[in-house]
Amino acid sequence: MTALTDTPAVVPAVRARPPHRLTFAGQLRSEAVKFATVRSTWWSIGITVVLTIGIALLLAATVSGHMDRPIMVAVAPIQFTMLLAGILGAITVTGEYSTGMIRSTLTANPIRGSVLAAKAIVVGGLMFVIGFVTFLLGALVSMPILAAKDITLDWASGAGVWLPLLAASFALTMCTLLGVGLGFAIRSGAGTIAAVVGILFVLPVVTSMFPPEGSWSWVSKLGHYLPMTASQDLILPSDYSHLSAGVAFLTLCAWAAVALGAAWGSVRTRDA
Amino acid sequence: MIVAEHLTKRFADKTAVDDVSFTVQPGKVTGFLGPNGAGKSTTMRMIVGLDRPTSGRTTVAGQEYRALRAPITEVGVLLDAKAVHGGRSALNHLRAIAATHGIPRSRVDEVIELAGIGSVSRTRAGKFSLGMGQRLGLAAALLGDPHTLILDEPVNGLDPEGVRWVREFVRYAAGEGRTVLLSSHLMSEMAQTADHVVVLGRGKVLADAPLDDLVRAWTTTTVRVQSPRATELATLIAGPDVRVESPTPGVLQVEGATAASIGDTAADGGIPLHELATTTGSLEEAYLALTESAVEYKTKEFA
Repeated sequence: MTALTDTPAVVPAVRARPPHRLTFAGQLRSEAVKFATVRSTWWSIGITVVLTIGIALLLAATVSGHMDRPIMVAVAPIQFTMLLAGILGAITVTGEYSTGMIRSTLTANPIRGSVLAAKAIVVGGLMFVIGFVTFLLGALVSMPILAAKDITLDWASGAGVWLPLLAASFALTMCTLLGVGLGFAIRSGAGTIAAVVGILFVLPVVTSMFPPEGSWSWVSKLGHYLPMTASQDLILPSDYSHLSAGVAFLTLCAWAAVALGAAWGSVRTRDA
Repeated sequence: MIVAEHLTKRFADKTAVDDVSFTVQPGKVTGFLGPNGAGKSTTMRMIVGLDRPTSGRTTVAGQEYRALRAPITEVGVLLDAKAVHGGRSALNHLRAIAATHGIPRSRVDEVIELAGIGSVSRTRAGKFSLGMGQRLGLAAALLGDPHTLILDEPVNGLDPEGVRWVREFVRYAAGEGRTVLLSSHLMSEMAQTADHVVVLGRGKVLADAPLDDLVRAWTTTTVRVQSPRATELATLIAGPDVRVESPTPGVLQVEGATAASIGDTAADGGIPLHELATTTGSLEEAYLALTESAVEYKTKEFA
């Protein structure tokens, strides 16, 4: 008798409830929430916007005479902001490793390649949009200053305005992905930022010290394939370009791809 | 149900987990015990796919963790190390985890209330005390209403009210048929919470048994007797398997005889008893005896 009445309801916990399932769309939303809910994101974006517009205004105020492609004033600030983009990409990842958040991320989604892909898509995608809006703003605010010098932006010109704006946003995105990839591969915040600064800022200086002719010219030639130089050649191709726009585009893609490939190798095999 | 089969994890310089096999049954609270460095946390990390085993495998509900289609509705995990970005609020932390599985905001609010962090849910997690951080970790573990709970030192840093809440919660969860694996260094707490225990020492399973059996096997039951004619009684109950000590005159500590047999013997001899009490060993004593013997065994092995 007691056996019957005392039998507790020990049954496998099967409950009727909405089927919550892990999905890639969900992972994308999660990455977007993570991106938007730490202060460092907004600091980085704020500084990027301020620097881009500030430098654009400064350039607009200092240029004189005839300009072939006045959109240069709006996109040239990328030489500085690409570093911020790379660092932002890096800290979205290293912030997870240094705080232990990565353990929450990877237990919620143990398919590590999908975590990496979602992070790259969200952070890279948002950076593309933010970059485009920022460069556009830079162009808009410098218009009146340029107009005073009889320099006008031809908004109807794809190659003169829109292509450089898109190319600059693309280059910014590739630098962000470089940071994301190196972040997963290196994990340490300081180490990753050092690598990002090294690739984006230090190596161009180093390679430019070598003579373009003679037995060491290969160093100088390799320097043309650094993200900084490739970006310049992609955004505003000119007779002085080292790389064609197509090669520059592929070069930037390759940098991001190699970094993300290293990230994939690391995240799939190493313990978290 | 959690199954570990011949699980081994070697790091560069040491073997943290060495051929460990055990099964954690649903409907029970299974305590996971062992000294620091015994391999408990590493084992838990391997169960949820954070660490890759050198050899062997673990499954939850018959599948490897990485193959689960909805991991956080199957397994709720709280690890001993922090797993929260300090710059993010508790609410946003939980929202980010919930988003991966399309768990609605209402459930996020529910676990915030459940874990008692409603008043600090918008505070950055970096400012949390140890106990508050632990409550946030529990909230995250409960988010998916999981069938299985894996909790590494869940009461670490909690106030007495929180400790009691965790105990009652895991007992309730087990009562509902869920699987609970729980580690703790607080033996008294474990004794009140666990039905079954798995003890690890130096990366190996030392014991895998119901808690009561473990305590009985590794501790001695003594009967304390007080009598004005204690010496006389001692001679009457003496036997080959019975050990009698007299810490103070008039008091006997008897091992190897039950209270009933001592009482009967006393009654037969007409000896008055002032006290007759059975003292059983504690989980702590059993645990210490067990892990100490493991250490001795090791020492002998290498000598």
